[in-house]
Amino acid sequence: MSLRLVNLRKDFVAPDGSVVHVVNVRSFELQTGEQVALIGASGSGKTTLLHLIAGILTPDSGSVLLAPGQSGPTADGAVDLTKLSEANRDVFRGRHIGYIFQTHHLLASFTALENVLLGMSFTGRPADANWARHLLDEVGLSARLHYKPEKLSVGQQQRVAVARALANRPSLVLADEPTGALDTENAQQVLDLIRKLCAEVNASLLLVSHDLNIARQLPRVVDLRELNTR
Amino acid sequence: MNLFQLILKQMRQRALSTWLTLLSVVLGVALATAIMLIRRESEKLFGQTDYGYDIIIGAKASPLQLVLNTVYHIDRSPGNIPYKLYPQMLRGGEFFPMVRIAVPVATGDSYKGQRIIGTLPKLFGFEDDGVTPLPADRVLEYRPGRKFEFSAGRVFHGKKFEAVIGSEITARTGLKLGDKFKATHGTAPGAAPDEHDEEWTVVGVLKPTRTAADRVIYISLESFYAIGGHADALQQQAAIRLGANPLDVTRPPATKPADPHDHDHEPPATQQGSDHDDHDHGHAHNDHDHEDHAGHDHGPATTPAADAHDHHDHGDDHGHHHGAYELNPDGTINVTLPQDTLALSAILVQTRGAIFNQQLIYTFMNRDTAAAVNPAGVMREFFGTFLDPTTKAWQAVAMMVNLVAIVAILVSIYNSVSARMRDIAILRALGATRARILTLICAEAGLIGLIGGAAGLLFGHAIAAVGSQYLEASIGESLRWWMVSADEWLYLLAVTVVAVLAGLVPALKAYRSPVAENLVSV
Repeated sequence: MSLRLVNLRKDFVAPDGSVVHVVNVRSFELQTGEQVALIGASGSGKTTLLHLIAGILTPDSGSVLLAPGQSGPTADGAVDLTKLSEANRDVFRGRHIGYIFQTHHLLASFTALENVLLGMSFTGRPADANWARHLLDEVGLSARLHYKPEKLSVGQQQRVAVARALANRPSLVLADEPTGALDTENAQQVLDLIRKLCAEVNASLLLVSHDLNIARQLPRVVDLRELNTR
Repeated sequence: MNLFQLILKQMRQRALSTWLTLLSVVLGVALATAIMLIRRESEKLFGQTDYGYDIIIGAKASPLQLVLNTVYHIDRSPGNIPYKLYPQMLRGGEFFPMVRIAVPVATGDSYKGQRIIGTLPKLFGFEDDGVTPLPADRVLEYRPGRKFEFSAGRVFHGKKFEAVIGSEITARTGLKLGDKFKATHGTAPGAAPDEHDEEWTVVGVLKPTRTAADRVIYISLESFYAIGGHADALQQQAAIRLGANPLDVTRPPATKPADPHDHDHEPPATQQGSDHDDHDHGHAHNDHDHEDHAGHDHGPATTPAADAHDHHDHGDDHGHHHGAYELNPDGTINVTLPQDTLALSAILVQTRGAIFNQQLIYTFMNRDTAAAVNPAGVMREFFGTFLDPTTKAWQAVAMMVNLVAIVAILVSIYNSVSARMRDIAILRALGATRARILTLICAEAGLIGLIGGAAGLLFGHAIAAVGSQYLEASIGESLRWWMVSADEWLYLLAVTVVAVLAGLVPALKAYRSPVAENLVSV
């Protein structure tokens, strides 16, 4: 899936009443299967931008154009996420977008396998348990399928989160500081897994990180300060 | 992972809270169910207002006690009435112009906890010989349009030791057609066995009536009076009525062993013989010349009672003497007690119309000997003043308990939602729509309501089952505790729906929660 952001703007009202322009992106494109790192200082609006792309937040103005397959974001058939109803955005997100959070955000009462299957629960399609097992095998947790998050290390938890994000074979994976809570070794392992699995399903990857060592491993690095027009 | 699995996961995640909430629902529903069931069964047991007879003549005491004892065969008898009232209901008698049908009944004994009633074959539509049918319009109905019918055998002979059993007696006692049995003194279930010597043969089984009559053993009034112990008690009562000292009367005779029976139940009544209906024909033993009683052993000769009543002058050609009766060669019996000593528990009366009903009640209101009550009126009053308000009060309590249970569901799930805002946000991020989240939470509340309600329904019936056993042991009546009425299903549905509505409050909280904030805030 290719992605194009056009004049995307999101403002927040600060407690003192002043308006803060958090996101103001004139233009940004991500090609199908492309892996891009988005860097920026803390509080620069990286997470907000990912939320806007995922349809979790709605922009004050602008478009989020997503086109399935190899067609470009401006081609016919591209979907402007901002024009969809909230329910349709949710369904679209469930089917086409994988999201990896900084902290794993696994559900505590679900096992590793169930957490991955949970990612398949809201697409309207039958869950594919074999694919879920394959993903957990790929992230090295085939022996921990039925472990609950509390029984897994932080690194293992994040690997389950990676598997969950890929559960629906998404076209676009958004990763928000996926290695931020990990040590160097685990961070590298998780990054490698994300890149490998995205390539396996031919998903585009937009990875947010403040760690340049991580970001530079991706083919393209974009600085949000340059992207944002304030 | 489907919706149901998700809900179960959520419930298991906070198992203690879920169990406690379920428990509150179970208790509330169980209480309400038990009350509904007991109310329903009480109406079945005591709510009958369509009686085939419109007057019960009985002792001047509590009308309710009289009706309960006479119609439902529970509670103790409020006392006896003189037998002589019965002939006055018949042709030529004082009350005959007001009375269409009258049937005397006498109670006091039982068999394996089932009440034995002495009455006349006319109750079942036959003359005293047990063979000749009465005209249809002279037969008492136990309910409007419904008369006793036999599923097997025949009615007892009016002057033999024969019995007719209600439809449930076989199941309750094992008695069946052709069996012989001895009556036990008193009617209290579980009382120590105290058998009389006399033996009855079951000659008929009644068809089910769905009334308390199904649990009764009917014997002829004549044989009821013939019971030796009854004769003693009757004579003691007669003596007391004539002014004898009760202590002297009940003291054991010097020349004869005391009657082992306590006789603290209502003294048995006695029958006059063939004046058993509104046909005006007398009865042999009433015409006896009671003069020389000294040689007979049908009463304690040394007590004042023996001196107080008239003495019989029975010749040996009457047959063999057996205490209070003579046994004739044809197997029939003649009770040898004087009429003045005879008593009844009640007389069932069908009057000639509403105006006569009131007239009869008014007539007895101004007399000391007995009272006349309208059973339907008494039961209506009983329901109106006691049972109905009581059960309504209990229902109100049950509803309050239910309300608390529903609030418990609301609070429990509300707290759960508050604690799971992050989880809900994750589900939203994974693609769950607001409507899906709303459904998830409402369904969880509904499931708690449904499971708790169903368990409460079962528990309520279990409570009723225990209550039924207690009732059966104490008054011989049982509840149909296993029957689930349409009201109960509706109630279960209502509990589930209300639980879903209670779930709406936290569900709306989750529905409105901003996903991004809840994801970022952790």
